[in-house]
Amino acid sequence: MIPVRRITTEGDLNKWANSETFNELVDFVERLQDSVAGKTNDEAIEVSPAVEKVMKILLRIELIIQENPVLHEKNISRFGKVEFKSFYDQVKSESPTLLNNLTSNEQDVEEISAYLVESWGNRTRIDYGSGHELNFLCFLFCLNQRSIIKPSDYEGVILKVFTKYISIMRILQRNYWLEPAGSHGVWGLDDYHFLPFLFGASQLSTHPYMKPKSIHNDELVDTYYKQYMYFECIHFLNSVKIMPNNQQKLSIRWHSPMLDDISSAKSWLKIKEGMIKMYKAEVLQKLPIIQHFMFGDIIKCPEGISEYSGEEDHDNHAHNTWGDCCGIKIPSAIAASESIKLNKPKPVPFD
Amino acid sequence: MDLDTDVPMEDVSEDQPSYQQKTTKTTTPDLQKENIGDLDQWIEKLKNCEPLSERDVKKLCDMATDVLQLEENVQPVQVPVTICGDVHGQFHDLMELFKIGGPCPDTNYLFMGDYVDRGYYSVETVSFLVCMKVRYPKRITILRGNHESRQITQVYGFYDECLRKYGSASVWKLFTDLFDYFPITALVDNKIFCLHGGLSPMIETIDQIRELNRTQEVPHEGPMCDLLWSDPDDRGGWGISPRGAGFTFGQDISEQFNHTNDLSLIARAHQLVMEGYAWTHQESVVTIFSAPNYCYRCGNQAAIMEVDELHNRQFIQYDPSVRPGEPTVTRKTPDYFL
Repeated sequence: MIPVRRITTEGDLNKWANSETFNELVDFVERLQDSVAGKTNDEAIEVSPAVEKVMKILLRIELIIQENPVLHEKNISRFGKVEFKSFYDQVKSESPTLLNNLTSNEQDVEEISAYLVESWGNRTRIDYGSGHELNFLCFLFCLNQRSIIKPSDYEGVILKVFTKYISIMRILQRNYWLEPAGSHGVWGLDDYHFLPFLFGASQLSTHPYMKPKSIHNDELVDTYYKQYMYFECIHFLNSVKIMPNNQQKLSIRWHSPMLDDISSAKSWLKIKEGMIKMYKAEVLQKLPIIQHFMFGDIIKCPEGISEYSGEEDHDNHAHNTWGDCCGIKIPSAIAASESIKLNKPKPVPFD
Repeated sequence: MDLDTDVPMEDVSEDQPSYQQKTTKTTTPDLQKENIGDLDQWIEKLKNCEPLSERDVKKLCDMATDVLQLEENVQPVQVPVTICGDVHGQFHDLMELFKIGGPCPDTNYLFMGDYVDRGYYSVETVSFLVCMKVRYPKRITILRGNHESRQITQVYGFYDECLRKYGSASVWKLFTDLFDYFPITALVDNKIFCLHGGLSPMIETIDQIRELNRTQEVPHEGPMCDLLWSDPDDRGGWGISPRGAGFTFGQDISEQFNHTNDLSLIARAHQLVMEGYAWTHQESVVTIFSAPNYCYRCGNQAAIMEVDELHNRQFIQYDPSVRPGEPTVTRKTPDYFL
């Protein structure tokens, strides 16, 4: 089945946070995190055929970016580049074929594809945040639930597949100027990501001399950013958080006080454990993010949660004015007031 | 120095008194010399980017409630005035804005909301603007943006910032309670309609806005929500907003609204634009964004729009200000990592 959004209220959120699906997902994240403890991105590991296949999908998606270059003459009011929409559409149309290499079950392909497609950002808003990143986690979780990837693949899944995903995201963020979705600005962990910090802290958790404060040492960051995901995130921040006029680097204390605070933790092990707690609280249990979480046959919706309202189809099809709803002319003010009469729990809006 | 000590005693009259003439001569007991003394002291402190004490914030918010609750849903504003967009806690850039646009109260200002969230200094930014509003009520107008809301500030940073800077949520509560009194739109010389977001399918005339009850949390839907959340769009007609609140509106809608209400322009903020300002709908709508290098990464310029006595408009763009040193707050390991 095509997975759909289900969670709309605080009550739903509670049921979700106490559900088996939730626990399985968290358990999956923890096991992925443990699998890379003390390992660098360039660790000599054996890459299984399954991981190879997933890598092939990502390499194809990376190529799709090149096939949708940004045409600078297009000038529209939004910040993000509209060419992202063609990238998104192409990923969407190719993804069933790409996924056929992993499974021949048509229904699974349809379902897994939905998560893969939403992993790259929102087509309409041209933005990206930890909710989209969560879709990529769900994509991996689906492969796990269907035993396409196995526990022995986990380190390859993180060191190869996940790092590739992040490197593609960096290209997308730079190329199409993806806006940070739901960013807390300086008060959040990061404009875009969470998981590379979560897995990255595990990589450093056994390191003999690298301390949490090392993120302030530019030399260390520049030397090790290709080996450690956490440092890659810092390196990326150092390269984008600059004064536009003179390219001067801005202080982490200014633009990322949360990361600065975390750097005062006793050890990377504390950060590794803390990241799981924080991910559960700040991503998996936050309504503005989880209201977009999709459930299907593989990732099952816990019982007792509001039924799917069907609203999504309405939102997603190219139906652009209230005055013309699915071909039927409706006076706009009436149509608008109708939406109020529905009186359904409204999701938390974006900004 | 010209001391602007007057506060309106009643709703501002229809004929819009000029800024120069003080039509309301009476000074209310609320803004006495000692209050002026407090305000001037707070303004000096804030200019150095030092937050006020919780006690002073309480005093300030009480004074501001008295001033703001007398303003209208469609607050009349006279020319000349300088119109500004989102600030989002970028305090040093706000100081730059006053350097570039001219100091308040010598220059009249109209801010179109979104003072808080995302930036490092939302507390100082909103404290400063509210102080200026109480001190020079006729010189500066501060509208409500969609971020001046309890729900949104809990998601996007202002709540976290207050907790961190004051150790409790009480300052957040004081300010978010005050936000309920902010006017939601302004009308410059009956010609330029200013608001944070955009139009609403439930509002055809400006008079309909005057009838709304604005002193409440920004609702999830309905006209007040739309005015703070909507965006202009390249497509015609009304559209569903990808933001999940408000609507998108096309050129036909803007032109009809301007025609119906005899307006020359809709000025709004709410969207990041690379040049700091952007025309849409064939110059019937302008977007102004006054937070340069938004979130310390977007590389955008900021802008303000000066409107003179003859309604000539001039945009002034500016880059981020140089940050002096590092924030002085000490590191505090978040509980997750202890």
